[in-house]
Amino acid sequence: MATNPMHQFNVYKIGPEIKINGIDLSFTNASLFMLISAISISIFLLLGTKDKKIIPGKFQLLSEMLYNFISKMISDTAGKKAKPYFPFIFSLFIFVLFCNMVGMLPYSFTVTSHIIVTLAFAMFIFIGVTILGFIIHGFKYLKIFVPSGVPVVLLPIIMVIEIISYLSRPVSLSVRLFANMMAGHTMLKVFGGFVISLGLVAGWLPLTFSVALTGLEILVAFLQAYVFAILTCIYLNDALNLHH
Amino acid sequence: MIKIISLTTSLLLTLNTVFAAEAGMPQLDPTYWASQVFWLTIIFSAIYFLIAKIFVPKIKGNIDARESQIRKDIEEANSLKEEADRKLQKYNSLIDEAKLEARKILSEGRKKINEDIQSKKEQVEKDIQKETLEATKEIEKFKINSLSKVNIISEEIISEIIQDIFKEDLNKSSIKATVSEVMKERRNQI
Repeated sequence: MATNPMHQFNVYKIGPEIKINGIDLSFTNASLFMLISAISISIFLLLGTKDKKIIPGKFQLLSEMLYNFISKMISDTAGKKAKPYFPFIFSLFIFVLFCNMVGMLPYSFTVTSHIIVTLAFAMFIFIGVTILGFIIHGFKYLKIFVPSGVPVVLLPIIMVIEIISYLSRPVSLSVRLFANMMAGHTMLKVFGGFVISLGLVAGWLPLTFSVALTGLEILVAFLQAYVFAILTCIYLNDALNLHH
Repeated sequence: MIKIISLTTSLLLTLNTVFAAEAGMPQLDPTYWASQVFWLTIIFSAIYFLIAKIFVPKIKGNIDARESQIRKDIEEANSLKEEADRKLQKYNSLIDEAKLEARKILSEGRKKINEDIQSKKEQVEKDIQKETLEATKEIEKFKINSLSKVNIISEEIISEIIQDIFKEDLNKSSIKATVSEVMKERRNQI
């Protein structure tokens, strides 16, 4: 049973069952690992902000690098107007990153490998950005579907394409992260299973793959967090600076 | 994007056929969806508020403090440099002044010494002249004295000789006149 590569994605409740209006809101292993990620983030940032040194220590340097990294990312993609959303992007990036990284630990659970979690993020961002666009630009925000410099004949087709691409944003955003995390972890598990089943004779080959894949997965964990954050910035940019 | 989705789905399909024991993706089981979203909302909100209210201002404060410190240090260094330049200029001007003064003192000293030497030389020359003059005078006096003495002695000798020879006194004034005449002739001869 343990060799089933999908087994690691199972969600089961921990502790008492919590039911509100017939909806099951029990604390699960997914919730536990969200909490672990959140606590890890808090510890990391606490260590990073503990000292106020001119020449920073390891953790202070890391937290400041992270701050500058995200600050640069936002100003590069969304400009100065996106400054108030910095804490949100920062939280989003660091939370996704830590969830991905915590998921890399053996026997742990990857929060972001569940479509519902990434979809919740993506829908929140999508709805938030859309509302923000309408608040800032009013009905002019609909111009986002009408690119400038397009011949009138092509306009209906382009508009349809633009609307579809706009509506598919939350899907692509959520599925990208979810699929990457799930595929990576499944692959790791499959190769791990091969190591056991092939034994001492030929097990070395999948083991090598497993080690390499672990490295790759750590890269993917970082990269997907980055992609998630930068796409959020790009969507935010569309809402803040309407320039089509 | 589509590639990734199709790849994962095909992978999952094959995996599901291989591991038929626990069929399907647990992700698509809606039992705990509400729970996951619920806890995600709570936990993410909590971490968002922690980050937005505590950590981001702190990190920003640290970075700003460092930047302002660096700016302040650079300004201080610049002002110190300016001061050093000013001091150097002052020092150089002081040195120049001192050199000028030293030269002045040197030339003055030389002039004074020269003057001193000149005046002493003149004094010495004057003294020498004076003494020479005096010596000449004395010699002259001495000469005259000695001549008059020679006259007297000659007169005495002549009167004694005459006395010895002629046994009688001759007129003294005539002897004197004769001697002085002879002496005058001699002197003229000399």
